[in-house]
Amino acid sequence: MPALFSEGFLLGLSTGFYCLSACLPMLAPYLLAEGTAAWRINFYIFLQFLGGRFAAYMLFAVFASLLGKAGEYALPAWVLPASLAATGLLMLVLGVARVSGGSGPCVLKKDLDPFFKRLPLALGFVTGINICPPFAAGFIRLLEMADVLKGLVYFGGFFTATSLFISPLLLGTPWLGRRANEIGRLTLIIAGGWYTILGLKELIYQ
Amino acid sequence: MESPPAERVKKVSAVVFALLVFLPVLLFSSMIAGREISRFYALAWSLFAAGIAFAIAYTGRVSAYRRVFFSASAVLFLVHFKSGLFPGAPGPSCFKETPFCHIAMAPYFFGYLYQQYLALMSGGWKLWGPLTLGAGWLFVTLAIGRGWCSWACFYGGIDDGLSAIPRRPLIKAGGWVFKLRDLPAALLVFMLLASLAYMLPVYCLWLCPFKLTEVFMDGEPSVRRLQYALMVFALAALVLGPLLTRKRTFCSFLCPFAAWQAFWGRANPFRVTAAPEKCSACGNCAQACPMFAVTCAAGAAAEVLPYCNLCGECLGACPQGALRYTVFGADLPAAGGRLGRLFTAGYFFVFSALTLGGVFSSLWAPAALRDLVKLVLP
Repeated sequence: MPALFSEGFLLGLSTGFYCLSACLPMLAPYLLAEGTAAWRINFYIFLQFLGGRFAAYMLFAVFASLLGKAGEYALPAWVLPASLAATGLLMLVLGVARVSGGSGPCVLKKDLDPFFKRLPLALGFVTGINICPPFAAGFIRLLEMADVLKGLVYFGGFFTATSLFISPLLLGTPWLGRRANEIGRLTLIIAGGWYTILGLKELIYQ
Repeated sequence: MESPPAERVKKVSAVVFALLVFLPVLLFSSMIAGREISRFYALAWSLFAAGIAFAIAYTGRVSAYRRVFFSASAVLFLVHFKSGLFPGAPGPSCFKETPFCHIAMAPYFFGYLYQQYLALMSGGWKLWGPLTLGAGWLFVTLAIGRGWCSWACFYGGIDDGLSAIPRRPLIKAGGWVFKLRDLPAALLVFMLLASLAYMLPVYCLWLCPFKLTEVFMDGEPSVRRLQYALMVFALAALVLGPLLTRKRTFCSFLCPFAAWQAFWGRANPFRVTAAPEKCSACGNCAQACPMFAVTCAAGAAAEVLPYCNLCGECLGACPQGALRYTVFGADLPAAGGRLGRLFTAGYFFVFSALTLGGVFSSLWAPAALRDLVKLVLP
């Protein structure tokens, strides 16, 4: 098992920069929009994002191992565009709701169900289910192993290494202010629109 | 009516100011143009820049004459580099290489850094150019900062020129537009990240209206259609927006370089500053500003936003003279003598901006003048 964890970890280390560039357009606008000058709050947001991403990775590990067991070696074609569209929609909804400020339908209002306050978690999850090339490489390895426990360990290593690449993003957050939040919210809308359109386009033209 | 000596002093100082602009523009312009064409065209362009300097110094009206220079530079850029895109029109016969597009530099900055890193590590020194490009940008930022967008940008002149055509705006932008004022910054952040993720200049491929061509677009028809739609949208913001609103809509909302320069331009000392004690809160400045960069709440003094690109339009619009160019918000100590009126932050800035704009546009303006001469006298 430690060997498998290391294998996943090494895959993450060698492809971490790619993971960083793929995850940044999803995480950075959110941190910009919701972050504050208080480092602890940003760290909490980041942890939630990682939590969501971890859940997605583990789910995929189980899913891929089961697929491998069943002798299926490919994902349905709609999964990737659907996950992209889901990420985009979540970002779009969040951005549109937040950009209108206090008078708008702010989904982070206190009287809402706590479920809706866990958006970094949800964002981390939908980011995690987006399959980038390093993720696909790990995924193929899981199909080949076809073992749920081994798959979890392997993807655990992969997740740990790739998270190391994303974490320096926190270094930029202590300078966040109201202006940066406004910019972040508009960025969320742009990025959300971008991923939604790309995802839907793929779904339609498949 | 000014007394004859005062009038003479004004004329003399305007001539001196024009000469101060003329000489460096002529020097650099002839060096640049002389590589491929007659220096006569460089002289013509330098005389034009000097004429603008004279008009500004003589009348004290900055923005009106700036706009003439700025729009002429943009039109000449189109004449020289873009006319060849139209069927049947001849392409440029000299100076065929377009200058590196500064708008592309900002949203592709991470990608650019990464490529430079790769070039450095592989020993590909010919591909390694941060010193030249970075030093050029640093120089521009220190010399005129955000003023680039109103004095030198070869695309901004189109938006600016068109915004001056209608007498009144057909569509009046309400206060809600200020909610979207940070859109270029958001666009910049997104383009920086997306360009890094795709390792492609996403802004150029998807949004830039100035490419005026589909040759860079994606091969896949559905993606191509999207890219086309966005280019047309941006083109409408560039051409129709100013005609309908009298504002520089593309530069205000869709140009990532404007946000880039608004951020880094803070390093530049020149500012447009409002004097609250003089301000009558009439709102003329906010209405006149083509960049949505001045706000004026009811009963409150005007506030100049970081997106101000020092075009000087608000200076002429203020009936109280409450707005002026400053150095970090302060005026320069008053100077006496015949040329004393030139020793203000305003003239220092105009000198910097006009000289830099004149020299930079020498990369195409003299060549475009030659194109026009050849067209008229084949």
